Amino acid sequence: MTALLSGLFSGALCGAIGYHVERINATSLSFAVAHAALAGASIGMVLGVDITVSAMFFSISSAAVLGLLFSRIHWKDLLSMVFFSFFSALALLSVYLSTTNVLATSSVSAVLWGSILAVDTFKLIMLIVSFTAFIAYLFTFRLQIDSILFDRNLAEAEGVDVYFHTAILLLFAGTAIALTLRITGGFLVFALLYNPVASAIQLSSNAKIQLALSASLGAFSALAGVAVSYVLDLPVGAAIAIVSSTVLILTLLKCVLLAH
Amino acid sequence: MGGEFGRRRNIRVELKNVRVAYSGSRKPAIENVTLSLDSGFVVITGPNGAGKTTLLETMLGLLKPYKGEAYLFGVNTKSRKVFEVRKLCSYVPQDFMKPPFESYTALDVIKLGFASLKWDKNAEERVKKVASDLGIRNLLNTPFGKLSGGQQQKVILCRALARNPEALFLDEPFSSLDKESRRVLCSLLKEYAVGRLVVAVCHDVEAVKSFADRIIRMEGGRVI
Repeated sequence: MTALLSGLFSGALCGAIGYHVERINATSLSFAVAHAALAGASIGMVLGVDITVSAMFFSISSAAVLGLLFSRIHWKDLLSMVFFSFFSALALLSVYLSTTNVLATSSVSAVLWGSILAVDTFKLIMLIVSFTAFIAYLFTFRLQIDSILFDRNLAEAEGVDVYFHTAILLLFAGTAIALTLRITGGFLVFALLYNPVASAIQLSSNAKIQLALSASLGAFSALAGVAVSYVLDLPVGAAIAIVSSTVLILTLLKCVLLAH
Repeated sequence: MGGEFGRRRNIRVELKNVRVAYSGSRKPAIENVTLSLDSGFVVITGPNGAGKTTLLETMLGLLKPYKGEAYLFGVNTKSRKVFEVRKLCSYVPQDFMKPPFESYTALDVIKLGFASLKWDKNAEERVKKVASDLGIRNLLNTPFGKLSGGQQQKVILCRALARNPEALFLDEPFSSLDKESRRVLCSLLKEYAVGRLVVAVCHDVEAVKSFADRIIRMEGGRVI
């Protein structure tokens, strides 16, 4: 039950955050944040601390740094790639330097491809709190966020603090990635961040429906992935990634068929 | 805060030896530009690539100079305080993003312009008044995506004017308007510019020169 609820909330949270991150063109930044979480989890594993805590520390710190730099530099994508390669190197180094004892633990599988068993009640509560906080943020700043999504330059010219909201969205992305990493693993967390929004964009041209679809498809993919993983005894991260990719392929097929 | 800054500071825009370049380009888009604007209808003109839009976006602080200083209502545009004074400004860009907002009505899009201000009865009345002046009152409940390019531009203009700004910045506002609509808009902007600042980038200066209080000509990134 904990695994199913975790799947439901992490899928919906990643789907909703992924939608906003994509619409503000910060996809590459969140890509860097996700790899920071992976590096944090790997380092946490080597040091013997809770991998969610270390992943959260790394992802939130990198999100804060990238959020601050977002307003000051023009070469954001290049910076994201620098962060990506640096954090990937840190993650791989940590695994390489791990002792045989560490490599034999279930933490390694949780970091790499996720594990249903790695999710406990405390992490589920953290997921629910993060989900509720994100919904509250969306309701409180709906007009400002919509204004940025409509036209970033125009919103900035009208006095909306676009950098503050970008930083907040990246911080939420960092938190969601760190919490979801336990379920999907570090390499497959993108399946829940970007596949649902890519499917939603194919299915509707209405902003509100796209957001609702992205969150729903994220939740569906995570739930179905957990179920497939349980029934077929497969790694849960891979199962979620395959389900969400299948959903995306089906929506693309639907668009192609409708176009003909 | 309404007109607090505007009343306190007559100079709404001030540029001092400003040089701006786009990322990856060695050649500055504008160079050694020094000017100050207080009120009136100001037109920026020049050939393609002269740096007109760059100058407008530098005035608003959307582009930051790497040399020289730019001030908006006395606030350096590199300072975070610029977000506060931008509440006194409105902007009409030449192009604007719209997908996936096709289902939003024209009124919804106008309301987005009040994200940093207060949306109340007065604002609603102002929107109705400006929409009538621009001839789009009957389009307010039409989905934005179903409007023509010219109508969409008028909606963005309505959003800008309804904010009741101290300084209004427009990038090629006449580009998709017919001759009569252009004349009506010029008169409206001229009237609006009394005691306030209206800056418009305009490729074809002949169409607006009889309305302009000041014309800034640009060529090769310099004011000539």
